[in-house]
Amino acid sequence: MSGAANPVMPSDITINADPEKLAEFESRIADGVLIEPGDWMPDEYRAMMLRMAEHHANSEIIGALPEGEWITRAPSMLRKLALTAKVQDEVGHGQMLYRVSQELGKSRDDMLRDLVTGKTKYHNCFNYPCPTWADIAMVQWLIDGAAIMNQKTLADGAYGPYVRTMNRINMEEAFHFKSGEDMVLTLMSGTKGQKTMTQQAFDRWWPISLMFFGPEDKPNAEELPPMKWRMKVERNDSLRQRFVNRFAPAAIDLGLKINIVTKDEKGFVTSTKPDEAIKLDDSTGNWSFTEPDWDEFWRVIRGNGPCNAHRVALRRLSYEQGAWVRRAIANEEVAVPPAA
Amino acid sequence: MTMQTMLTDPLAAMLLAAADDLLMLGHVQSDWTGLAPILEEDIAASAMAQDDLSHALVIYEFLGGEHDLDPDTIAFDRNLEDYRCCDLVTVPDDFDWSISLCKRWLVASYSKLGFDRFATIEGDIGQRCARLRDEAAIHVAHLNNWIIRLGTGSQESNDRLQQAINKLIPEAGMLFEPPDAGLEQDESFCCGRQEIFEEWVDQNIATLSQANLQGTFTLPDREAVGGRRGIHADHFVEQFEEMTEVRRTEPSAAW
Repeated sequence: MSGAANPVMPSDITINADPEKLAEFESRIADGVLIEPGDWMPDEYRAMMLRMAEHHANSEIIGALPEGEWITRAPSMLRKLALTAKVQDEVGHGQMLYRVSQELGKSRDDMLRDLVTGKTKYHNCFNYPCPTWADIAMVQWLIDGAAIMNQKTLADGAYGPYVRTMNRINMEEAFHFKSGEDMVLTLMSGTKGQKTMTQQAFDRWWPISLMFFGPEDKPNAEELPPMKWRMKVERNDSLRQRFVNRFAPAAIDLGLKINIVTKDEKGFVTSTKPDEAIKLDDSTGNWSFTEPDWDEFWRVIRGNGPCNAHRVALRRLSYEQGAWVRRAIANEEVAVPPAA
Repeated sequence: MTMQTMLTDPLAAMLLAAADDLLMLGHVQSDWTGLAPILEEDIAASAMAQDDLSHALVIYEFLGGEHDLDPDTIAFDRNLEDYRCCDLVTVPDDFDWSISLCKRWLVASYSKLGFDRFATIEGDIGQRCARLRDEAAIHVAHLNNWIIRLGTGSQESNDRLQQAINKLIPEAGMLFEPPDAGLEQDESFCCGRQEIFEEWVDQNIATLSQANLQGTFTLPDREAVGGRRGIHADHFVEQFEEMTEVRRTEPSAAW
């Protein structure tokens, strides 16, 4: 699973940089020059870039958890192999992004510790449950599909190490998306029970996918640091529209119904009704749709989602259970000598 | 050709023992993906779990071709007593990396010796197993390195590995249980049981010595019955139930 979407970035920061250096820095970005770790950069840029890369790394390794729970239950050898490899890829993305973050000045252990103590965040979509195998299919199809759309734009950013990492990650994400698409197609071509399970999973994940890109940006977003410095290059609403344009007709073609849902506090759907807004506007080429519940978005991002506590607790358990291994590696210079 | 003909074929019994070990070892280890102590080793251990599952699949595909069976049917749909894995591979690790590491190390060195011998069989299965030997050797080398690294890393890590070895060694000898009662009389398939055991022990002792760890291995009597002859521990049954949970919800479906 990918956790590409940006954290909610501060946009009203005060920049205390040397005006001449700042002007040159912004001129380089405007010219499309990539900023490298050894280059001069405003402290505020370094802090925001670190926050973005760290959030993304956190999202990758937390994102490994919900799908990881289904590896042992994958229903065929090929699905089992593909899911293990897919989750492994996400851990690998986390490793690459922590390396980017480390170069920006924060140690990996500090980042892992901040994650498990709740000081730093990860992508909101991983705070929802995956109660069936079809949820895994939806995560790979919808969430990885959304991640690819977002990360392709991030690969047009300005920070060299992050851009290069995005390019590598996007190639793997394309495989994840294809795997998810194949899983959804197989389920929707299957038994009545499989189709029902798939529709129920779609009902859970469609609104989460719409929220994936984050809330609407400020009207002057292009003039504020995150976009001015090309940390992000496209508005959240624009990405969301492209997602709906791609996935609404694909879902309908597969026989899925796009519903407006209400959920309980555990993330399970309690009622559905057809989203009557879903239709193609021929004049714009855009599909209209009903906005997700943004109150829910803010509730979950503040820590009150169905799985926030569970995800962080499992990562914390992993961090604590593996500490002896890391201590042993760090202590190698005072190692117990081998037997004679 | 049916499931029954496969299950009564002596060569298939030996191959299923090897494949079922790797299926269940890879199954258990794959559950660590995303949760290992170090990100880099998380990735490596997951790659090895995928290798184990893939190696099992190579054998199931061969047997499927020989006996006209779907490889997934062989992997997931047999009766419990028809699985030939040793109980060592499903010993619960209870989120303890030392158990996971030592278990994989003991099985990897055994599997490598098995593939060396299967590779000498003329024909398709020999060629298939010959292609798996390099990856099996990489597993042994990687796991040897980690046993030595953690055995000599700190007193704490040495203690943890020693405890894991002490826990697992009593189960480990059953890797050498003949998978079929009939094979006890058939030296062409069970030949060199003592010889392979001694080769396996020599390798293990050499690594343990470098790691400042101890272990005493014993070869159980041929009559000792366990997983290879379908008498499985509860932890195998629990793992199997979980592994087939989704598949059993719609038995005739494609997934």
